[in-house]
Amino acid sequence: MNGLKKFLKAREAGSIIFLILLFFIVGCMNPAFLKPASLLACLNDSVVFTLLAAGIAFVILTGEIDVSIGATLGMSAAIAATILRDGGNWGIALVAALITGALIGLVNGWGVSVMNIPSLIFTLGVNGVVRGMIYVFTKGAWVENLPGEFTKLANVMLVGQLTVFYVIAIVIVLICNYITKKTKRGRYFTAVGDNISGAALVGIPTTKTKILAYVLCGVFASLAGMAYTSRIGFVTPIAGNGYEMKAIAACVLGGVALTGGQGSLFGAAIGAIIMSSISRILIFMGFSSDYDNTITGVMLIVIVVVTTVMQNREIVRNHHDMLLARTNKEEVKKEVAEA
Amino acid sequence: MNKSFSEKFKGFLKSWEFVLIMILLLEVVVFATKNPKFLKPAVLLGSINDIISICIISVFVTFCMITGGIDIQVGSIVGLTSIIIGVSWQDFGFNIWGAAVMGIIVAALCGALSGFFVAYCDVQPMVVTLGGSFLYSGIALLISNLSATASYKGISGFPDSFKFISKFRFFGVLPLQVVIFVVLTIIAYILLNKTKYGRMLFLVGANRQAAEYSGINARLVTMVTYILSAMSASIAGIILTSYLGTAKSDLGSTFTLQIITACVLGGTLSTGGKGSAVGTALAAVVIGVLKFGLPLAFGVNQQYMDIPVGALLLIVVIVRAALNNQKVIAFFHKKK
Repeated sequence: MNGLKKFLKAREAGSIIFLILLFFIVGCMNPAFLKPASLLACLNDSVVFTLLAAGIAFVILTGEIDVSIGATLGMSAAIAATILRDGGNWGIALVAALITGALIGLVNGWGVSVMNIPSLIFTLGVNGVVRGMIYVFTKGAWVENLPGEFTKLANVMLVGQLTVFYVIAIVIVLICNYITKKTKRGRYFTAVGDNISGAALVGIPTTKTKILAYVLCGVFASLAGMAYTSRIGFVTPIAGNGYEMKAIAACVLGGVALTGGQGSLFGAAIGAIIMSSISRILIFMGFSSDYDNTITGVMLIVIVVVTTVMQNREIVRNHHDMLLARTNKEEVKKEVAEA
Repeated sequence: MNKSFSEKFKGFLKSWEFVLIMILLLEVVVFATKNPKFLKPAVLLGSINDIISICIISVFVTFCMITGGIDIQVGSIVGLTSIIIGVSWQDFGFNIWGAAVMGIIVAALCGALSGFFVAYCDVQPMVVTLGGSFLYSGIALLISNLSATASYKGISGFPDSFKFISKFRFFGVLPLQVVIFVVLTIIAYILLNKTKYGRMLFLVGANRQAAEYSGINARLVTMVTYILSAMSASIAGIILTSYLGTAKSDLGSTFTLQIITACVLGGTLSTGGKGSAVGTALAAVVIGVLKFGLPLAFGVNQQYMDIPVGALLLIVVIVRAALNNQKVIAFFHKKK
């Protein structure tokens, strides 16, 4: 019972209930959707967004934002794909992609936490530069003809009908979720996002924590780039364009507050599943997938507005309670009753 | 308050607008020496079509940023306006000007919706307009499906009177859309600096609570900024549709980076309370000239244009941050 109450209080609970309800309603309208193969396909399709959303969740937890992850995904995918195409080892490709992501994250972290530049503006600039560098690097051409072993990897099933990539992604996300929730250093991210001055006063290295968040975000984006390359089989210069907005939307859907300090990586992963199953749901409901953006927009706005309004009410009520506790309760109660 | 002319001029020399004019002159000189064709009025003013939408929109997004918000949905409103004009003209038989007015009204409603959530529900502007950009681009796509023409082709064949907007030139050189841009900038300048609304806007941005305590309807003031930016986006959408001759639902989807860059480069503080219409307009022109001049003078590929725009944004914010850095200030004091 205690565990259930705790679960219902957590921010992810809303997202999980929403996900189950969504799947249940769609299942009622078209039972074929609830077949295990179809449900697992929803999970498998969400792998890129799961990694992106979990990565950006680190940054959002610290109260900042990163809109350069789409370009980071594209850049690391382009570099990894070029290495693979030229006959390189996949291990080298992976390391090169990870280093790319970490470097871009380091630049972002430096700008935001050392130079104190508003994160949206700084990462927007980095996004432009990196996006342009993808064109320079690929000379505007597609990176194609990747070795078959690598592209086949996306279809290798590890557990039942779950692909290798999804299993790896969800294991990483769960481990990181545990670290950010249960370990002392992991909770620094939330602490910095919740109250940065307070965190600094109790001796948390706020600058380093923010830089680390950006580096992790870049690394996750480059992992997403690897999964993307393997699933799609080629990399275009516009790979990952606009993915940053979808990843942020996934985080919001998963209950990660953009004000920082609230939410979890697990929630972000749930949000990513909701986000990426919309187009599949539309097909099962018999709509055209053109409704995709409209539904995403409506869902995003409704969820955010409802949670914010509820939160603000809570804040006002707490404030009232606090004031009531200070004053003579009987008098106030009389006044309230009269009014 | 009555400053003499020379004092005013000295103040102007220290202002950020002056720096921007210097950057603009530098750009023109460099590009012109490299490729004299650059200075031909026909070439220079002909290039304006590619940048005019960004110029117009960024001036009014500045309003949102002054209140401490941000508007990233304007790009999708450009496409929405464009497709509304196309579909209502071709498939529903509207008069083309009626269609354009309808585009502006719908855009204003979209802006009002987002502005309502930002101002009256206290949701973060970034999230609302992110949702708005999904929603409005999605609606634009759905509207384009109402048309008999396939959405990727775009609706074309507009009457000449509509193409007039982008074709007409005063005295044979000055394009009409430049005049529209200048007029809108002047309106924005007057709104910000000479009206009561402008003063309220700055106070709301600097300190919302103080503004509310002094009797300003801060929520309404904030909401109006989003309506203004959406309407400016729809005007840009009309001009862009007229210039391209086709109505498409995905016009303007790449504008966000450039618009925010123009606002920040123009001296707008993203935390709110500071900004100027003229500064943003100048900055947008600086970006436009850069995007136009680099390929012409140095043969830089058009696809690489994200790099200079992004780099410009980064340099400006880093230099500005460095100038406010205590260590840097201390360093310069020691030297003196």
